Amino acid sequence: MSNAILVVGGGFSGLTAAIEAAELGHDVYIVEKSPWLGGRVAQLNKYFPKLCPPSCGLEIQFQRIRKNPRIHCLTMANVIGVNGSKGNYTVRVRLEPRHTPPHNVDFTFLASTLEGEVASEFDLGLSKRKALYKAMPFAYPARYVLDTTTLSKADNARIAGKASLDPSEEAREIELSVGAIVVATGWKPYDVTNLSNLGAGSVKNCISNMQLERLASPFGPTQGKIVRPTDGRTPHSVAFVQCAGSRDQNHLNYCSYICCMATLKHCLYFAEQHPTTQITVFYIDLRAPGRYVNVLEKVQALPNVHFIKGKVANVTQSDGDCCCIQAEDAIRGEKLTLNYDMVVLATGMQPTLATEKCPIPVAVDADGFIAGGEEAGIFACGCAVMPLDVTRSAQSGTAAALKAVQTVKGR
Amino acid sequence: MAQCTLKPDIDFTRKLTLAGGDSLKKCYQCATCAVACPLAPANAPYPRKEMVWASWGLKDKLTSDVDIWLCHNCGNCSDLCPRGANPADVMSAARNVVYQDLTAPKCVGSLMSKPSGLPILFGIPAILWFIVWWIRSLYNDGNWFPVRPDGHIVFGDIFYGDYTIDPIFMLTFFGALFILCRGAYKLWQSFKPDGAVAVIGEKGCWLCHLWHVLVDEVIFATRFDDCHDGPKTGKVTQTRRVGHTVLVWAFVTLAFVTAVVALGHWGGKIFPIIEITTPLHPMHLVKIIANVGALMLVVGLILLTIRRIAENSETHKSNYYDWYLLGIIWAVALTGIFSQVFRLAEAVGPAFLVYYLHLVFVWMLFAYLPWSKLGHLFYRTVALLYVRMYGRKG
Repeated sequence: MSNAILVVGGGFSGLTAAIEAAELGHDVYIVEKSPWLGGRVAQLNKYFPKLCPPSCGLEIQFQRIRKNPRIHCLTMANVIGVNGSKGNYTVRVRLEPRHTPPHNVDFTFLASTLEGEVASEFDLGLSKRKALYKAMPFAYPARYVLDTTTLSKADNARIAGKASLDPSEEAREIELSVGAIVVATGWKPYDVTNLSNLGAGSVKNCISNMQLERLASPFGPTQGKIVRPTDGRTPHSVAFVQCAGSRDQNHLNYCSYICCMATLKHCLYFAEQHPTTQITVFYIDLRAPGRYVNVLEKVQALPNVHFIKGKVANVTQSDGDCCCIQAEDAIRGEKLTLNYDMVVLATGMQPTLATEKCPIPVAVDADGFIAGGEEAGIFACGCAVMPLDVTRSAQSGTAAALKAVQTVKGR
Repeated sequence: MAQCTLKPDIDFTRKLTLAGGDSLKKCYQCATCAVACPLAPANAPYPRKEMVWASWGLKDKLTSDVDIWLCHNCGNCSDLCPRGANPADVMSAARNVVYQDLTAPKCVGSLMSKPSGLPILFGIPAILWFIVWWIRSLYNDGNWFPVRPDGHIVFGDIFYGDYTIDPIFMLTFFGALFILCRGAYKLWQSFKPDGAVAVIGEKGCWLCHLWHVLVDEVIFATRFDDCHDGPKTGKVTQTRRVGHTVLVWAFVTLAFVTAVVALGHWGGKIFPIIEITTPLHPMHLVKIIANVGALMLVVGLILLTIRRIAENSETHKSNYYDWYLLGIIWAVALTGIFSQVFRLAEAVGPAFLVYYLHLVFVWMLFAYLPWSKLGHLFYRTVALLYVRMYGRKG
């Protein structure tokens, strides 16, 4: 019997659940597969509702974690097996080697001298990273990672003999005893290579909405300047393609909820940086839930933002690395073929469990969202359950924490 | 803005649903389909507007819409449709409803719309040719299966050309042609909008346009290839160009042979030099062409049938009209080929029976043509001609 709680996933909802449970006096283990906490929110430039940078909300969460000895963070960790039953689970966790010391060592200089490079996962392929890297300045834990597969021969010679690096460190497995499990495995942007009529990721300067977040982020590939990835030029015309893969039985058969608001937010990014850029948003329906309608009204009032009802169904490359899109303006009944300097696909949220195997015994529905599991003391929260914005993710994290606490209380 | 009141016709929507458009209510008007269709023009593209007319039950709009005939049913729109509303099937259903209602007697259209009408449709020519068979058997001393003294079978001994086959088929053919022309005229009138149409640019004569339509559609069937120029769907769409072209040319060949034989037969009564007597020798040039035509018919049928069966049934459903037409052409081709085989094999019973069935199916093919999917031969040509006259390529 254990009254500890396992939280799988260190994104916004997982962190919230972990902190809430720990602050109620429970031991909490956070198992996060990436090297740092923060999840998708950390990749954003700004997030709703207040349009603050991610450091703002995450910083507070990290402070609370740092100060709470009951929270144990396991990064680069994956759950590989779960045994037992409600109130008494034994969880096996595999810890991938980080090859860097447990304390905070600043490797900035050493990293800059390495030559091996690979496309950055954190920047969604928009930049290159070195073998020794830290994705964001406020990363928690503030530790570098050494990716030995990216080291070149010269790099190997350069790091040889560094006492603080251990390239031979191996993966370990540990066992945790917990009474309840919170599953906060989150989401990933829908894979654009599936969208064959929207260019399948091969059209230059046709990027996804998450890639635009990275472009706009001050610690992103362009230090926050929104420019065309191919030539670094300011785009004079931009088209947003709503429902790119969402509400589509061939892709994601549901509304991803956040893409409309994300696009409206992106219009505000442009209005701030390039107020003369002409923006056209192609939509089927615009969904601005609750108070977010204020944002919609604000964006609609912008002089250079135009809305056209009609889904973009064809994106091809045109001259000068521009993007040619085709859509029918469904109100005027006219088929438009237009060129834009840049096209942003407002791709949706796909639950991580739709494509990745999870050893936790929990049922998922046809779309990969978690359905049920509560009777077994397994509580899901965040975008693993349904598409949510950050606020609601946090709320669902708190809810899951309260349920988990009640499951283990008094044991 | 002017006020207008829509009068939805629920019965019409139900009719469309039964005619193969059962997915139409799933449409949420995202307009993907209008982009997916490479044939749809930039100005007033289809099929999104047809989808909204269909679900609102706007019968007049949809049945007088020229665009339903310009669709060549490649299914790009259905492949990309995010809701499984299958616009291609709805367009096909709209055409089926026009086949059903365009021309009188409408009871034929109603019988043609469902499998339960088949017994009556089959029964009419079956009785007709049975009476002919019975009457003619009396001329053969009550013998229903006459054989020549040399053992040969001559179908003309029972189904005598001059007094039975030719008059009945001429009446059927020209009757059907009259009904088709009346339907085509009605369609043409319905395509015209209220008021005058201003045509900007050069106008061609209608004969030139008709020639271009026939070249594009019949001789080369290039529209089927144009169908594949749309956005990438990520799905494999099999081409129909080969199967359809082979089938069309098989019909052209067989029509040519029939005309030659008819000319030789009737003309031979005036100019004995061009006389042709049936049955023709298997090595007679006309007979060889006829058999090549029959072979082409079977090849075309096999290609088109395989394509229909192999098609993804979720997004490309074949409806009853599709299967009726394929079925009747299969029946005509097989009974035609086997009546020749049995005749040459001197299997007298099967030969006459199969030939009788052949006559029944050929009569069905022609007599019900204005209400069958084969009507597109006329109606689509009319629609293509109409849009070309108004400056569109179709």
